[in-house]
Amino acid sequence: MSKPTDLVQGTLDLLILKTIALEPTHGWAIAQRIRRVSGDVLQVNQGALYPALHRLELQGWITAEWGESENNRRARYYSLTKSGKKYLQSERANWERLSAAIGLVLKTA
Amino acid sequence: MRWLKSVLNRTHFLFHKDAVEKELDEELRVHLENAIAERVSNGMNPAEARREALLELGGVEQIKEECREAHGVSRIETVLADLRFGLRTLRKSPGFTIVSVLTLALGIGANTAIFSMVNALLLHPYNFRNLDALVRVWENRGMDEGFDARYIAPADAEDLRAANGVFEGLTTYNMQSFGLGAEGDVQPILGSRVSANFFDVLAVNPAAGRLFSVVEEQPGADQVAILSYGAWQRRFGGDAQMLGKTISLNGRAYTIVGIMPKDFDYPVPVELWVPLALTPAEKADRTQLSLSALARLKPGVSAAQAGAVLSSFSRRLEREYPKTNAGRATTLLQLRKELYMFTLPLFLLLQAAAGFVLLLACANLANLAFARMIGRQREIALRAALGAGRARLGQLFISETLLYSSAAGVVAMLASFASVRALRTSIPAGWTKWVPGWDGIRVDGNVLAFTILAALGVGLFLGLAVMLHTSRVEPNKTLKETGMGAVTRTKRRVRNALVVAQVMFALILLVCAGLTIQGFVRLANVYQGFEPASVLRIEISLPQKLYTDNVKINSFYQQVLRGAASLSGVQHASLVTNPPASNVDSETTLFSIEGQPVVKASEEPSADLQIASADYFATLKISTIAGRMFSDADSAAGPRVVLISSAMASRFWPKGDALGHRIRLGGLDSTAPWLTVVGVAGDVRQNWWNPIARPVIYQPFAQAPQRSMTLLMRTSANPTSYVSAMRDVVRGIDPGIALRGVNTLEDEIADAIAIVRIMGILMGVFGLVALALSSIGVYGVLSESVAQRTHEIGIRLALGANPRDLLRLILGEALKLTGIGLLIAVPCAVAISRAMASLIFGVVTVDFAILSGFTALLIAVALGAAYVPARRAMRVDPVISLRYE
Repeated sequence: MSKPTDLVQGTLDLLILKTIALEPTHGWAIAQRIRRVSGDVLQVNQGALYPALHRLELQGWITAEWGESENNRRARYYSLTKSGKKYLQSERANWERLSAAIGLVLKTA
Repeated sequence: MRWLKSVLNRTHFLFHKDAVEKELDEELRVHLENAIAERVSNGMNPAEARREALLELGGVEQIKEECREAHGVSRIETVLADLRFGLRTLRKSPGFTIVSVLTLALGIGANTAIFSMVNALLLHPYNFRNLDALVRVWENRGMDEGFDARYIAPADAEDLRAANGVFEGLTTYNMQSFGLGAEGDVQPILGSRVSANFFDVLAVNPAAGRLFSVVEEQPGADQVAILSYGAWQRRFGGDAQMLGKTISLNGRAYTIVGIMPKDFDYPVPVELWVPLALTPAEKADRTQLSLSALARLKPGVSAAQAGAVLSSFSRRLEREYPKTNAGRATTLLQLRKELYMFTLPLFLLLQAAAGFVLLLACANLANLAFARMIGRQREIALRAALGAGRARLGQLFISETLLYSSAAGVVAMLASFASVRALRTSIPAGWTKWVPGWDGIRVDGNVLAFTILAALGVGLFLGLAVMLHTSRVEPNKTLKETGMGAVTRTKRRVRNALVVAQVMFALILLVCAGLTIQGFVRLANVYQGFEPASVLRIEISLPQKLYTDNVKINSFYQQVLRGAASLSGVQHASLVTNPPASNVDSETTLFSIEGQPVVKASEEPSADLQIASADYFATLKISTIAGRMFSDADSAAGPRVVLISSAMASRFWPKGDALGHRIRLGGLDSTAPWLTVVGVAGDVRQNWWNPIARPVIYQPFAQAPQRSMTLLMRTSANPTSYVSAMRDVVRGIDPGIALRGVNTLEDEIADAIAIVRIMGILMGVFGLVALALSSIGVYGVLSESVAQRTHEIGIRLALGANPRDLLRLILGEALKLTGIGLLIAVPCAVAISRAMASLIFGVVTVDFAILSGFTALLIAVALGAAYVPARRAMRVDPVISLRYE
């Protein structure tokens, strides 16, 4: 099955974690926020979003809770766990190192 | 801990499947509503908005499935589904299920039973704390003299205790038999004299009372004893006031100060312990290796490290005391491995045989399973066509075979509780009293783990085998075929290979079992050179206190011999120090030959020393090779003479001129009198672990009397009927003397090889099981493959084939397969039997009679297996057999 996503493998997890780090967020809002913050550049494939959320939950980095959404609808809110925060930090550092390295190569080579 | 959480999560999702599904639905619904609402607020009409939102999200069911997969729910679910399916298939064919479960249970059970013995006897023979740190220490004179000859000189042991840096503690002991009780009612009891730290080194505490103190190691202060639990129960009825009471041992009063716990009887099978109180002279002795020694290694010190320290220690002693210690090497061996030289090869062989039985069971079952798979071709093809991958099908097969093997494991486990108990109790205690750990044979955690592992291993193995076998199913072709489908070439090749393998396994195992059984039978004949039938043996031990000199000892035994000879029906009566089948090595002695001086102590010749009365050789019917046997003329006053064994004569006087030469017992500086060789006696095989006849020197009893002797009587009637008469004779001479070890020589021999005999019985059982399994297996495979040719046979007959030629053809093919199997198996069997011959006493290399017998048997089974179904196929009217397809 093909999952057309413009994101580099593994970066969806990073984006999700970063997005919900600010406040508990539900699936729809996560996708919206990623799109908005990236200036409509990053389009999250919604078919890949939910499996990713469930995978992260299983790994214990995020937890989910039912709550009321802004338009008074029940929604599943995801938030970071303690180990999730640590994981986000290390992944973020990794990403920065990687993108800096790629930038360096592109500039000089 | 993450994995734990993940497992918990997975199981949570598994058990709350409905709730999770509902949540998933709800979550996706909320998402869609949001997506639609946003579009509607942007001015899109609701129907269009809904369509676009759905498109954007993608397949809802697919997302759900991916979420489920993310939870790992689906994998567990499919395994459960497979197991349920497997259970249904098992229920549908109860015959197949019962046969396969029982076959496997037999194989697994055989392994469990043997493993329970290995577990108890090899891995945990003693129940001591940190058993691996306990070592036996002894002094070796150039060769390993067997476990009964592992002794150390008292002074050397004392030096070692003072000098060592590797032992936490070192203790010495020896065995002694006592007469227990007052005059008139003396019972023999086996005890051990032990240093005060004996129990500390073994790290055991008394169940009641106390241990020995160092003070009690002094002669005179040593009249205290500790009882074994068994002795306390059996001999004193578990008397609660036992502590502080006195008992009489060899006429001396001993105070009971302690009772040991139930499971402690080291060194087996002693019933009591007294302090080892050596006189200063005995303590300073370096010439006699008279004590056994046990030590506990310091934590972190390996046996190899300690061994290195010991060898430098013995080099130091060699330098300091060259006269006594030259050529002596202090050696150690883990206590656990003490009996390995006897038990390890036997048990490894038994375990190997049990393994073979399991392999045979597996081979049979694999055949059955393959046969069933042919019937399930269409089902498998359908599954493959619907998208089940190889891994998915493998999972299905493995779940099914795991079901069989687990069921078999459970049956084997249940049966093992009973069979292990039967194994332990069905064997007379007399046979096993010398086997440490025997009472520990039971199904414990190790054995259960072994059974579970074996069952799972077999299940996986069978599942993989079936998976490989069916991996080449082509759905397209199979589904198009009608009815049974022809047997493809690959399928036939696999089937033929199975027949060959089955025949191979069968022959190899049968030959191994046969050889071992034959070897054990031969062991019983190790006792050669004498006539054991109709001989009664009685051990007599005189107390040191009352029998202080040779004259008294001599006169007592002369009266005993006269009394025995006067009983009607007694043909010969005689005395010897160590009768055959005593399970104890004879005392060895150094000696020198007149005119053949040796310079170095380590090169001194040694021989077994036996002391025998005049009639000994006549009593056991030991042959005279040269010269004369002893007579009454060889008295204390007569010239000093010896007899030597044939092995000794040929080793030291290869030219056959031993008679008339003189020898002197003892080391280089011995001043013992010269003894003249007056005769050569035939070799007697003493003990089953010594198949090679050792050199023996016989001294006449009258010239070298000993307090402990064995009386042998050759009788014309049943030897046991003389026991009470003999008891009266001895009581008449000295009522304080106990008769011990009363038995016929034949029974004694049977007892001596008991452990070997147990093995032989087990081997025999395995052999029979193997015979049955392999016959069934070969028969099953061959008859099935012939039965599948019913159609072909029908066509051939319809086309006018001669039935006789056809039968010959089919039998020929069966014979060909069997022949290939045998051709591969025979060299393997020969190689294995060679290896066995080097490992096990009594087993000689491959026996032609065994090999040809089993080969003929397997050929006969193969012919029957081909003939019966072929006949049946031929009797069927060709028209019917053709239409039947």
